[in-house]
Amino acid sequence: MASEAPKAEALNVVGQPVKLRDLKKHVGGQTSYCDDLRFPRMLHLKMHRSVQPHAKLLAVDTAAAARSEGVVRVLTHADLPGGELWSGLATVGGAGDEPVLASDKVRWKGEAIAAVVARTPEQAEAAAAKVKVRYEPLPAVFDVEEALAAGAPNLIAHWPGNHYIFGDDHAAAQIRLGDVEKALAEADRVVENVYQTSPIEQAPLETIGCVAVPDGDGRYTVHTGSQSLSSTLKSVAAYLGLPANRLRFVSGSVGGGFGGKADLAVEVTATLAAIKTGRPVKYRYTREEEMFASSTRAAWRVYIKDGVMNDGRIVARKVTTYHDSGAYLRMSNYGAMKHSTHWPGPYTVANVWVDVYCVFTNRTPSGAMRGFGIMPASFAIEVQMDRVAKAIGMDPWRLRLLNAYRNGDMRGHHRAVKDAAMIETIQATAKLSEQNLTGDLQSLSSWRQKAG
Amino acid sequence: MAEYLLPDSLSEATEIIAEHGRALAIVAGGTSAMRCGTCRGKHGRGILCLECPGPRLVSVPNAAFVMGIQRLGLDGVAPANGGLGFGAGLSLSRLQASAPIPALRAAARQVGGPALRNMATVGGNIFERQPYGDVAVVLLALDASLTFAERDGERSQTLAAFYADGAKQGGLLTRIDCAAPDGEVVFLKCGRRRFNSPTVVTVAVCIALDGGKVRRARIALGGAGAHPMRCAAAEELLIGAALDPTSIAAAAAAAADACDPATDVVASEWYRRRMVATYVRRALGEIEQGS
Amino acid sequence: MTAKILSLNVNGRDETILCDGLTTLQEVLRDQLGLLTSVKDGCTQGGCGSCSVLVDGELWLSCLAPVAALAGRAVMTLEGLKQSAGIAAIQQSFIDNSAAQCGFCTPGMILTVKALLDANPEPSHDEILEALSGNLCRCTGYLPIVEAVKDAAARLSGGADAARASEGREG
Repeated sequence: MASEAPKAEALNVVGQPVKLRDLKKHVGGQTSYCDDLRFPRMLHLKMHRSVQPHAKLLAVDTAAAARSEGVVRVLTHADLPGGELWSGLATVGGAGDEPVLASDKVRWKGEAIAAVVARTPEQAEAAAAKVKVRYEPLPAVFDVEEALAAGAPNLIAHWPGNHYIFGDDHAAAQIRLGDVEKALAEADRVVENVYQTSPIEQAPLETIGCVAVPDGDGRYTVHTGSQSLSSTLKSVAAYLGLPANRLRFVSGSVGGGFGGKADLAVEVTATLAAIKTGRPVKYRYTREEEMFASSTRAAWRVYIKDGVMNDGRIVARKVTTYHDSGAYLRMSNYGAMKHSTHWPGPYTVANVWVDVYCVFTNRTPSGAMRGFGIMPASFAIEVQMDRVAKAIGMDPWRLRLLNAYRNGDMRGHHRAVKDAAMIETIQATAKLSEQNLTGDLQSLSSWRQKAG
Repeated sequence: MAEYLLPDSLSEATEIIAEHGRALAIVAGGTSAMRCGTCRGKHGRGILCLECPGPRLVSVPNAAFVMGIQRLGLDGVAPANGGLGFGAGLSLSRLQASAPIPALRAAARQVGGPALRNMATVGGNIFERQPYGDVAVVLLALDASLTFAERDGERSQTLAAFYADGAKQGGLLTRIDCAAPDGEVVFLKCGRRRFNSPTVVTVAVCIALDGGKVRRARIALGGAGAHPMRCAAAEELLIGAALDPTSIAAAAAAAADACDPATDVVASEWYRRRMVATYVRRALGEIEQGS
Repeated sequence: MTAKILSLNVNGRDETILCDGLTTLQEVLRDQLGLLTSVKDGCTQGGCGSCSVLVDGELWLSCLAPVAALAGRAVMTLEGLKQSAGIAAIQQSFIDNSAAQCGFCTPGMILTVKALLDANPEPSHDEILEALSGNLCRCTGYLPIVEAVKDAAARLSGGADAARASEGREG
């Protein structure tokens, strides 16, 4: 390792424009994606999905599907070895709560119930439609606060109360700094608002998919568009009870992911189908499936109560937020943890109180998408900053600069700020957007403590 | 899976229609009929079905036969009796390039992207489910008529009567005709983005002025009901009146009152009704400014 | 149900293909004719433009075209356009402007630009936006793609630029 930083002119990459290596392949149409792979005797897998948001499964009749033209195999929960439950973060200790194929219950409209493997995608789709499911509908809950209320229908026995259980048996991830109630009582103004974000589909141009190919020696090669190659391999091995060295995962070019291909989605079923049929099996979502069955960015509800002094200092920020995980955990606890540590935003507030609930509802399970957990917090914080500015009649640029965190300030989660650049970023933004900051604001710096 | 039939002549096509009846779906450009809706696989690939939620076009559920019209020579521009005439199979990109009325060119340009317009047809646009079918809205304002070929001969119907009747398809739509417009025609679309936008609402108006008074008014709306619709209440308010901000506001309010828009993924009924008022006012306003 | 055999000219060669009912041009190109996988499948409903091809020089969406209606017509995919006028300049412009990230939309984009510049060698900014309006890209935000189209138009109208473009292609 070099003992001192190299001179700028010696740098080959930093500060230099770098071309994407595969551009030449892209423009020639030669880049191969998972969907472009063809193998001899390749079969196609399509899923029969729940039409109920919450129901007991009384019977799953696959006889007509199995007799349908071109069908080679139908898979249900009974075909899964062990029938363990999986978690998006199983390999880093997440709790398993989700079946690969539903067994006794379905908890969202679109949950996988039976997989049909046939010679063509059309045959598989036609046969999947012939799977007959008898449901006993259960009361469903679609709102995070209703799900937490007493008497709400429970989705998963593992999560009584319909929320994730954080460390030390906490119902919510908690941030505590200073004395929020005292500071709110002493503040000149209290500004209180609620914010709601919507679920968002990542919508990559290439839908989720994989091809599982038997190597003929008890090993399987899985070509996948997954964004999480090694954790997906480990999850498939754990779920199917295979040693990891029986699986080889190959990632080609990913046709867009944005977090939407971070979850385990198709690989377990496709690999199981390849094991059961001895033939290559392709499982690729249609665009409709991608839109209604793949993980979304989660919807959040955020309550903020700010204590503000007339000079612009925010002295207290009390926050309760609800993350809509949908029906299963997947990566939601991770997103909720990132969300909690983001408060109170890039601002220094001496008294902070945050409760973050990770809630289960009968909605499509949510997952990763570009800064998941962070984005809904930032959205709520920045709209709140504008509203605070309006409430005290202060220029919103000034309000942000006065409260922006400086090096050495204490964050909500009890870590001192290092390498702050918020003030400089706002100053540069002002310049680019032709906002004239007054001299006192231009002289602010992340390296100096705020006045007063 | 449906069998694809490709007749070479109109008589062959009308025989096919007579023979297969409701088991037949007619596909022109395919840009609606070939879209794989929620019933893909269940009712044959690409055949959109009235029994399933989601996209609807083909009025023949479970079509066993599909007929293409590419070889019937319906893709021409054939003015008749000094008016305008379009073959039902004329592509929207050719309509965009050749229509003599700017409003028709503008409406064609608002449908999909360039590739889609190279395939989609004027005839297909007549059958589009709402809120699509922007070109049909202009044709309605032009009081166009439709000609259907059947085994026994031709049958004509005004477009307004066709929609009032529930857009029932009998025979093969061969051409769309309208007289040269006897007034100013304006088409406006409220979409979600500038190009290739789904329709919130579309408005087409055709106004003839005589000595400062409205002699004839046709106001057509898209995205405002089960089919593209004429708005008689608004038209009646204008006839005989001066085209001024007062009469325009009254007509816009009447149009918003009379329409029956749906809520879908593109827009809500609430928003569409307000946009009908706004765009009728703007369209009539353009004619007022120009007169 | 009867399968049909028909003749189709693909990338300059007459091909005999087998189709059933509503088999689409996209399926034939991707699965029958030697895996012409520059033709992508992003939505199978005409919404994304990633399956774009040229049919008798016109830009089409191959996922919406029943191949049975195309007997005797000439289809071009990006694979067949290697020698075609201007294609190298368009490709080099996409490279130089970093107008692709994941690359899934890129073949459709390039065919769309080819069709645009063939019809309109000097498109305005708005004409470029309109021409690209049927092709979705989720990675780039479109700005570098629009720049690439302007760059390609400039290269194709200026001799020196065009020469540089073809050198870049070789290098």
